[in-house]
Amino acid sequence: MSTSTPTPVSGPTAARVVAAEWTKLTSLRSSWWIAAVTAAVGGAITYLSAQASSVDPGFQPVDSLSTGLVLAPVGLLVLGVLVGAGEFRTGAFRTTFTTVPRRAPVLVAQTLVVAAFALGVGVLTTTASALGILPAATSRGIAVDLTAGDGPALVLGMVLFFVGMALLGLALGALLRRTVPALVTALFLVLILPVVLMIATDPLVGGGDPASMVASEAVPRTTVVGTLTVLTPGTAGTLMTTSPSSGGMDGAPDLGPVGGGLVLAAWILVLLVAAAVRLRTRDVR
Amino acid sequence: MITVEALTKRYGSTTAVDGLTFTARPGTVTGFLGPNGAGKSTTMRVVVGLERPTAGTATVAGRRYADLHAPLHEVGVMLDARSVHPGRTAYKHLVSMAQTHGIGKARVREVIAQTGLEPAAHRRAGTFSLGMGQRLGIAGALLGDPATLILDEPVNGLDPDGVLWVRRLVRELAAEGRTVLLSSHLMHELALCADRVVIIGRGRLLADASVQEIVDRSQGAGTVRVRTTDPEPLARELLAAGAQVVRQEGGVLRVRAASVEEVGTAARRCGVTVLELGSESGSLEEAYLELTGEALEYRAADVQGGAR
Repeated sequence: MSTSTPTPVSGPTAARVVAAEWTKLTSLRSSWWIAAVTAAVGGAITYLSAQASSVDPGFQPVDSLSTGLVLAPVGLLVLGVLVGAGEFRTGAFRTTFTTVPRRAPVLVAQTLVVAAFALGVGVLTTTASALGILPAATSRGIAVDLTAGDGPALVLGMVLFFVGMALLGLALGALLRRTVPALVTALFLVLILPVVLMIATDPLVGGGDPASMVASEAVPRTTVVGTLTVLTPGTAGTLMTTSPSSGGMDGAPDLGPVGGGLVLAAWILVLLVAAAVRLRTRDVR
Repeated sequence: MITVEALTKRYGSTTAVDGLTFTARPGTVTGFLGPNGAGKSTTMRVVVGLERPTAGTATVAGRRYADLHAPLHEVGVMLDARSVHPGRTAYKHLVSMAQTHGIGKARVREVIAQTGLEPAAHRRAGTFSLGMGQRLGIAGALLGDPATLILDEPVNGLDPDGVLWVRRLVRELAAEGRTVLLSSHLMHELALCADRVVIIGRGRLLADASVQEIVDRSQGAGTVRVRTTDPEPLARELLAAGAQVVRQEGGVLRVRAASVEEVGTAARRCGVTVLELGSESGSLEEAYLELTGEALEYRAADVQGGAR
């Protein structure tokens, strides 16, 4: 055995657990692949979208900046789920929770390191997206200045959206403890549910008479389904990437970027608290 | 010192551990033995706080595991070789463990060297053989230089070199005054390195004794084995004299509650030619099988209708 001197025994502290979780996250290839692919795909989609829009007479390059976000949630949800549920899928939780038997600090540390990593991915992807709109802007001779007007709020909203999606994945992964169910649930909530709700509001579905569509102009400003849609985590999160002056979605209360961010934050918080309660009160197996 | 008291763990209607009490003492290798599914791993998971007991207590150095201030420095745990993310290298796995307790990278390299993992340290754990995984698990258990070690089936999957290494390691650890609790489903494995053996079956304590005591307690101890040309008359003679007789193939009888002299005399009385006669010393493996109840099933199949 070692010739260890009897040093005062010191155990896990918050900072130490965060350092350990950061090592765990960054020592997996999957984390770096997700970062690279998310940034590349985000930049590429933004580039293509800006190119396509650039033929419009009223083309505003900055409006295309967040178009790359359609697929970005997938990568970040996967990142979060892999951290939250990966422990349980691989059996690594046995090491993690015998090393830090109080458990809760692990979940807090995972939240912090996933947020930090997703922040990096968000900055990277937003940069790639900004580069993606430049060719189209240049071709139209429009100067792009993200420091003016809605620019800073938009960039901040995009980065926070990335962080929010990753944390949503983490919370679901930590709560459900299984990779596939957590990922399916996350994708359902973020990508599928809004579409389902949107289809449900379409008067043509459900046997509506096309002639009565004229009457649908008279529907109230907000509908139940519209409200539900805007309260789904993905849609609420997307509001952070819209301009405060855009006036919200049809049929939904106008939450604005801050309101949307708060709705997403509430989802994350509730799920994380549920995961923490499960972690504290149930066996880890 | 590991103290398990009246420990019960149920999953729904299944009782995995049933009122188990035992102690693993410092300076001793305590073997924890039982067939697969006997509740060894469940007990160990409860001891290290991954699972909560339904009833009873499990403590390390007098405290619940969850209440330990610095678990890595107090208890080294190796539960399952699959307690590592397969995508992480052995080195990074150990570094992440070490960071939780502020242990330096020098110590990480030390345990890597000690467990012979140097060539594989920067390979991802998913590419490891079972034996390499066991070495990594043991490296993690040694990381904090703990006074207590809990190792679940550490020799599982090790090559002969590795098995010898683990035996020597646990002997050394105990010689340094540490408490070592080591589980196995192989009696002979534990006989070679354990001082005491705690045997469980279906979640219950079957024996808690030294290896020698368990051998002496075996049914095999005190059994007389006799081979004759005509076992039936001799069996009847011995049964009538109050002995217990098990018939085996090839004209062999195994006799309990009778001495070699009594069996020999009985053979002469009924005019049977004795081909072999001798007393048997107990075998550890047999003692274990008897204790865990597998012996009965084994014999039933072997004896085929023999009287008991």
